[in-house]
Amino acid sequence: MARNKRNGSDLRVGPALTAGLLCALFVGLGVGYVGYKNQLDVLGRQIKERETRLADLQRENKMRRDQLGTLCSPVALDARVKKLNLGLGPPALSQVIRLADPPSTEAASAPPSQGRQALAGTAERRD
Amino acid sequence: MRVSPQYRRLYWLALVLGGALATLGYRLVDLQVVQHDRLQQLADENTVRKITRVGMRGQIVDRQGIPLAISQPAKVVCADPTLIGGWRAAVAAALAPLLEMDAAALGQRLAGREQCGKTNLCRYVVLKRKVPIETWEKIKARMAQLEVSGDESKLKAQERAFRRNLRSKAVFAEEDEVRIYPCQRLAAHVLGYVSNDVEQSGLTGIERAFNSSLRAVTGWRVIEMDKRQRELVPYRDEDVAPRDGVNVVLTLDAGLQNIVESELAAGMAEHQPLSASCVMVRPRDGEILAMATLPNFDPNRPGASAMEALRNRVISDMAEPGSTFKIVTVSAGLDVGAVTLNDIFDCEHGHFFFAGRTLHDHESYGLLSVENIITHSSNIGAAKIGLRLGEENLYKYIHNFGFGARTGIPLPDEAPGLVHPLSAWSKVSIVQIPMGQGIAVTPLQMIMAMSAIANHGWLMRPMLVSRLVDADGKVLAEYSPQTVRRVAGAETMREMVKALKTVVTREGTAPQARLEHYTVAGKTGTAQKVEHGQYVEKFFSSFVGFFPADDPELCILVVMDEAKDSHYGGIVAAPVFHAIAERAANYLNLKPDIDSTPGVNQSLTVVEDGGVGARGQKNN
Repeated sequence: MARNKRNGSDLRVGPALTAGLLCALFVGLGVGYVGYKNQLDVLGRQIKERETRLADLQRENKMRRDQLGTLCSPVALDARVKKLNLGLGPPALSQVIRLADPPSTEAASAPPSQGRQALAGTAERRD
Repeated sequence: MRVSPQYRRLYWLALVLGGALATLGYRLVDLQVVQHDRLQQLADENTVRKITRVGMRGQIVDRQGIPLAISQPAKVVCADPTLIGGWRAAVAAALAPLLEMDAAALGQRLAGREQCGKTNLCRYVVLKRKVPIETWEKIKARMAQLEVSGDESKLKAQERAFRRNLRSKAVFAEEDEVRIYPCQRLAAHVLGYVSNDVEQSGLTGIERAFNSSLRAVTGWRVIEMDKRQRELVPYRDEDVAPRDGVNVVLTLDAGLQNIVESELAAGMAEHQPLSASCVMVRPRDGEILAMATLPNFDPNRPGASAMEALRNRVISDMAEPGSTFKIVTVSAGLDVGAVTLNDIFDCEHGHFFFAGRTLHDHESYGLLSVENIITHSSNIGAAKIGLRLGEENLYKYIHNFGFGARTGIPLPDEAPGLVHPLSAWSKVSIVQIPMGQGIAVTPLQMIMAMSAIANHGWLMRPMLVSRLVDADGKVLAEYSPQTVRRVAGAETMREMVKALKTVVTREGTAPQARLEHYTVAGKTGTAQKVEHGQYVEKFFSSFVGFFPADDPELCILVVMDEAKDSHYGGIVAAPVFHAIAERAANYLNLKPDIDSTPGVNQSLTVVEDGGVGARGQKNN
């Protein structure tokens, strides 16, 4: 009887602690796993939102770029000039005075082909 | 030995539990191993989706980067008739104004019978393609607030779920794109247009010729969805980005194209021909700066125009060139040494009998030098030069100048023209062909031949595409000018230019083509049309010329088909050439080669040669 009483009150701390730690570990792993999954889900949604936003901005950017290009087209400019009755137009050739460039040493020493290209450059539009 | 009842019960319990576990184990193996593939597929069908990622078709831009053809994102609006049920009329009434469709037709489409038959349960019906994004947003909003009768708070859960699906899922959209030509009719024949389907294949013009480059490469993404049909981003599998189509940079200049089309339209209004065409080429590299045919069409709505208007006559129509072809005859004569500019020919006072046929001149000429034959455009003179040149030489030079073969312009449906083989020539061919009869050429061939004269004898391949660039502007391919062959010596070409300059003098056939600030070299053409094998009183009138004559920057051809008031190229086409040339020279700021008297307002604008000058001066 006395032996039984002594055995019953003998608290074995080691195994209980081990079991407790194991439980805590499993719980911690589980909570961590769920938290990690939750974070993945949240980040996934954020990625999706940002992707959608990026696509929208890119689309808007493209539309504005196209719109700008279209507004700069001669057809649109002509229509605008006519609509606003601005009377704009390029000057007649008789209204233009040309100032000849003094011959530079580079141009003088350039091979004929480059000289031709330089001449070709004068034919580019001036706006 | 007798087993105690407790052990017996324990054995039975173990047996039952073991049997149960074995059954579960068998089922587990059955599900996870035996039926794994089938079940995996079923599970994937519920959650895994493969979505296509659509890229944009490439742009077509002019040499300055002005967009001529662009693609905008759009939507294909679809519906699931099973989620609409009996609310078809309400949905149709709500969407019809936004989709610009008839409500009754839309209601019929929402029934899904058209696409899936009477008995099939259709879950995918296309309502409209190419719907702008803004319209789709409005459709979504309209559907979310769709009014359906009945107090929803009193409905069963199933009915409430049905209405929720009706508002959020019954009408959905897929990615699409719409091709837009922002300059509308400008350069329509060069650009072409695309089909109206999802593929958007180019059907004509550059859209067709460069379809494989312009077309985007579709990407895809394999995703997993949750119960609420939201993507589970961490479980993305394959993710291949789409690749936008390559942008095509043309040699065309939208400014010049606009000048050409507006002046051609003015010429059309004045002379009322069936059609009018114009090409502008830079002779030294063969770059096509403008190409137009009227009547034209709006590539945004090609179906709204007549079939005739869709044809690019510059490359696909071939006709007898008339007197413009004399440039080939005389060039050949000068190059082989058969004639010189000062050689005199008797032009028989307008009537020349040869091989049973009578050739006529439009005026009576006696003795004319070769130069004057060009100046006055004498048919008899050209015929006699042809006779002196001989059939073989003439045939050789016709081919050298590029006639009878496609020029190689990167546009579909180019005609090669018609040059009969030497063996098929009749007795009169040697006098007909030198004056531009008995041969058929395209306007493009004609201008390239004239450009060869302007380019000191070098025939260039026409260039319409300058380069291919990606969306970031990186050059993927660059096209450089290509020389086809040398058609004649430089000295011969100098002589030709000298002769062609006289055409725009008072004595010539096209004084109206003369420019105030530039010397022009050109040639008129008035070709009688052939119908059912007979010449009829209908004419092609043309003028082809270049300027500044001694260092040409632009070569321009104007052709009018059956002008109403007059048929002479010098009267009908030359003034249009003049108007186009003057504006084009101004636009390009070409350096004049004629010293003209300073104008009264000359101090308004000061331009440095090759520099940037003020534009947009008021010029009332």
